[in-house]
Amino acid sequence: MTDLIQQLKHGIVTESAEATERIARDFAALVPEDTVLAFHGDLGAGKTTFIRGMARAWAINEAVTSPTFNLYTLYQGSRQLIHLDAYRLESGADLDALMIDDFIKPPWCLAVEWPERVADSLPDDAWHLYLGIDSKQSHTIRLGT
Amino acid sequence: MIFAIESSCDESALALFDPEKGIVGEWVHSQIDLHKEYGGVVPDLASREHLKNFFPLLEASEVLAQQKKITGIAVTHGPGLAGCLALGIAFAKSLALAWDVPLCGVNHLRGHAYSPFIALHEHDPASYAESFKGLLPHLGLIVSGGNTILFEITVEGALNVLAETVDDAAGEALDKGAKLLGLPYPGGPHVEKLAATGDAKAFDFPKAIAPRNERRFSFSGLKTSLRYRIEKMDDAELEAAMPDICASYQSAVIDQLFGKTKHVLEVDCYQSLGLSGGVSNNKSLRAAMERLAKRYRMPCLIAQPKHTGDNAAMIAFAAFADPAGTATDQVSIEPALRVG
Repeated sequence: MTDLIQQLKHGIVTESAEATERIARDFAALVPEDTVLAFHGDLGAGKTTFIRGMARAWAINEAVTSPTFNLYTLYQGSRQLIHLDAYRLESGADLDALMIDDFIKPPWCLAVEWPERVADSLPDDAWHLYLGIDSKQSHTIRLGT
Repeated sequence: MIFAIESSCDESALALFDPEKGIVGEWVHSQIDLHKEYGGVVPDLASREHLKNFFPLLEASEVLAQQKKITGIAVTHGPGLAGCLALGIAFAKSLALAWDVPLCGVNHLRGHAYSPFIALHEHDPASYAESFKGLLPHLGLIVSGGNTILFEITVEGALNVLAETVDDAAGEALDKGAKLLGLPYPGGPHVEKLAATGDAKAFDFPKAIAPRNERRFSFSGLKTSLRYRIEKMDDAELEAAMPDICASYQSAVIDQLFGKTKHVLEVDCYQSLGLSGGVSNNKSLRAAMERLAKRYRMPCLIAQPKHTGDNAAMIAFAAFADPAGTATDQVSIEPALRVG
């Protein structure tokens, strides 16, 4: 399984949303407890799709919807998943104002879309995933070092 | 009279509702201008603004003059932004204590669900209970930036969700589409304006990602397909095709809402159709739903424009019309509250 981490560091190309979800499921098992994951990538790059795959691995079976308007969604499975979209946030101060700390329960995973908006508030040990689109069918997923 | 407070997101709003008359007053402190420069909602700013807004808003309203007639306070307790909800609830609790009246928490989404009935009540308050009963079972659609919910209200008055979005909300699909096209925030109305002069058949966007009989909405693929489409165009081409792209894209969003609603009407029997939420201001969507209701020979109730965004009138009305959906024991913030 650690091969997956190596492969992700080099970048994995996926041809469909289903394939992205499958990789995310396997990846979820390798994410340490209480980790912040930062998802970099443009509109339509597959960020929410990837996070949905991780949710399934943690036995979260409800719909994983875009939190753009509601800013964040909490899911409880074998691990707590906090799906945050910083698209409409201006700064780290605004992140604090969301009072997420009041709702967080270990073991958790905080998945942040548009992390560059709140870069200063993310911990140094956060994992960074970069999602890109090459052409109509292929998306790349790369784990930053 | 019921006094209501709403502060789940952008708007600080107050309303007074008299069961014998209807909405007697509503006051909104719109924060849209504040957020425009940031391209969205800024929660910290929003929370602080609610605190700044509520007292001047209360003083500017007629609420204090009518205070002796107030028999209860209703406040939105979820879903919404935790900080914003907390401020509204603290404000409501202090007034309930000072005026010695009971407090209840109203589900913001149930407020939207019942908002099309506000006008029905206002038309003839005395016969509302009877006329409402005659409209059940009711099929309703809430469409906004954060929600896309098809639901029913049964003859017994229970609210059941029939379909929800599995990814983006319909309003979000329109706003994000607008963003991809380089239009200002909030983009939905700009798309609608440009679409008015365009040809909805000019571009082929995926109409319904989920099969028609599956009771779920999905708009995320639509946004991705718009992205691929415009990537192939240069600036001049895009500029020239803008009305056609907007018309085709908007029509793909509406077709899915229309198609799912129609499918439910084909399968089950309803007495009325409802439409509410911010996107219900879209003229093409209103026309589509009215057409559908006409085909099935049932009244189409659409929330009045002033009650489509976040407003306190619908919170006051839901406290009156949907007491089963309110929380009375202990009112606390519930940011992730579900509709049913």
